[in-house]
Amino acid sequence: MSIRKELEAKLIARLRDDVVCVEKTDERTIYIDVKRAGFREASQIITASGARYLCSIGYDNIERDGTLAMVHTYALDDSNRFVCCRASAPVDDPVLESITPDLPSAGWSEREVTDLLGLRFAGHPKPKKLVLADDWPEGIYPLRKEVPHDFVPQGAEDVAYQLDEAPPGTKIVPVGPFHPSLHEPEHFAVYVDGETIKGCDYRGFMTHRGIEKLCQTQVSYNEVPFIAERICGICGSVHATAFSQAVESAAGLIIPRRAEFIRTMMLEIERIHSNLLWLGVAGHLIGFDTVFMQAWRVREQIMWLCERLTGNRKTYGMILVGGVRRDITPDIAEDILNVVKKIEDELTVIYRAIEKDTSIHKRTKGVGTITRQQAIDWNLIGPVARARGVDIDARRDHPYAAYDEMKFEVPVLDGCDVWSTLVVRVVETFEAIKIIRQCLDKMPGGEIFVEMKDKIPAQRHAITVVEAPRGESVHYVVTGEDNRPERWRVRAPTFTNLQAVPLMLLDEQFGDFPIIMGSIDPCFSCTDRVAVVDLQTGKSSSISKAELDVMSRKRLQGNQLQQVQK
Amino acid sequence: MWITSKIKQLLMVMKPGVVTLDYPNERPPVPANLRGQPVFDHQKCIGCGGCSDHCPARCILVRDVCQELRVMLYDGSRCTYCGRCADICPEKAITMSNSFEIACDQKEDITTRMELFMMTCQRCGRCYEMEKTNAIDRINLKGFRYDNLEQRALVRKTSETFDPALLKESDNYQRPSDKE
Repeated sequence: MSIRKELEAKLIARLRDDVVCVEKTDERTIYIDVKRAGFREASQIITASGARYLCSIGYDNIERDGTLAMVHTYALDDSNRFVCCRASAPVDDPVLESITPDLPSAGWSEREVTDLLGLRFAGHPKPKKLVLADDWPEGIYPLRKEVPHDFVPQGAEDVAYQLDEAPPGTKIVPVGPFHPSLHEPEHFAVYVDGETIKGCDYRGFMTHRGIEKLCQTQVSYNEVPFIAERICGICGSVHATAFSQAVESAAGLIIPRRAEFIRTMMLEIERIHSNLLWLGVAGHLIGFDTVFMQAWRVREQIMWLCERLTGNRKTYGMILVGGVRRDITPDIAEDILNVVKKIEDELTVIYRAIEKDTSIHKRTKGVGTITRQQAIDWNLIGPVARARGVDIDARRDHPYAAYDEMKFEVPVLDGCDVWSTLVVRVVETFEAIKIIRQCLDKMPGGEIFVEMKDKIPAQRHAITVVEAPRGESVHYVVTGEDNRPERWRVRAPTFTNLQAVPLMLLDEQFGDFPIIMGSIDPCFSCTDRVAVVDLQTGKSSSISKAELDVMSRKRLQGNQLQQVQK
Repeated sequence: MWITSKIKQLLMVMKPGVVTLDYPNERPPVPANLRGQPVFDHQKCIGCGGCSDHCPARCILVRDVCQELRVMLYDGSRCTYCGRCADICPEKAITMSNSFEIACDQKEDITTRMELFMMTCQRCGRCYEMEKTNAIDRINLKGFRYDNLEQRALVRKTSETFDPALLKESDNYQRPSDKE
């Protein structure tokens, strides 16, 4: 019995009339339409059949039938299938049942939809603002079509986000609004008892740029890849590839095989550079700047290679809907082989030098531990999950581009801590080098770009998953009328992993906060202030980044001292 | 072992030595196909506006001030250097140069402004070979165009024949603001 039929039988047995239809739109996507009464139960049935939750997408359907629609997406990793479960609620009673009590990682997706579309979720454990600014006016939902893309509401005074109540007996250490040493505006309120972290609340999305809205209202299909590339300064090709694949899949466009090989190669080059960058940052966060300097020295060669290959160090601009823009000539192929050989050698030197360094072990082993089961419950992805014994990798489970022809290992460790994450990412860099060599070996000839002859039909749904260096990115596209997507949802890997950070931080030392935070490799942006507020006296003082670094280093020196004494 | 690791680390650092470039005294290697500042050749340009249609950053603006005069403005302050304009240009009038040191005080220093004298087609008023084959890129922006160069804004309005009313209207274009 096919997977679709099996699912349909299970759903109809439990939900009966609430199931509207179960259909297969392409080789690997199954769409389930349910009435809103059975939305949560349908989700339970789908997850019970072994599916892993990915993300949820809300979209505005008011013009067509007066509803706001919601799609929950799941992946069946064993059989390479995506399951999308759709339901809608009328705009004058926009309430759906929340699935967050069953799937904690759906929490943010649902809060985002509430903010941006005004669809509410009954039974959500934490129905607070997530994406919108605190002074955003009530009742205006920016992703609805009636709101113009350049709408600038009036600011308001005296509004502030109410962070969660601190557990009794703890003090609050606010970290942010700019994160010390990690490079992104984000605000953590860390509840500490002495040096031990007892919990935390997160307020972020300060740099929400409304890229999705912009691309749904202003630009055309082939301009979106360039904007997608700027979602992330590190995994740009990932987002551009994912968007292009989603549109190609919606339009039924088959791109030349050579273009798929070039895309695969770009993704792997990006993985090498991202993993080296992360290795450096991780070293820096634990106060071990030798690793930082050396990893980044090695990384610089790949940046220069990219400049020769694509014309820019970052934001390569290689990928378009329908193929890629620049070809790989024999000269450049030889150049790539030389550079990756050098990187392989030098990374081996770095890895040998740090693998047995006990001062690194002390800072990373047993730090940021969560169990395999917790990692599965919170849907952790990427190296963070693989370091906790969860064997998932979109490149192998849901092959895209040319990954079906590539042979590579997926490193899975069960150390459940930051050290395992580090090892996983270093091993993945070596695997990426293997993939690049295979790409150049097997690359077929032919065209690199195919033109889109017909109009892309509107109202097609498509989902793609691309494995970014830090986890999988999910892109969901609903095609629209005016040569642009009607809804484009990007779920970056950090969106999922960040939700599990409070769990990772629980019962850890405050001095380990930077490296635990850094271990999930959140998208960085830089700056530097931690305010310590004493709850009893209400006085606040500031710790600068330098001081935090000193705190971090003290831990390192303490470790080394112990080492010497032994 | 702690001490052997430290020796290995020392060797790892010693071997490459100093790798930092002495910039700006020493020029970094610039590859031949770098996507640097775009250079516009007014001799080759036929004023088709294809670059403007495909610019993801919308930084190439086209304004027809009268039937015969078309002004094209490249606003470098917003350019993302993707090189899409150079790909598209049917006359190869745009090249991506390898100059990258383009930080400057004046916006005008990285702005290119071309005034093109246009011939009137006897049949349709305007005749350009637009890139018509690629449906995905097809935007209905042909004929006369009225972008607002002062505000540096792309105004999505075109007309088949020159329309002074539209020109006047786009003159009054205002950016949205929160002060109302």
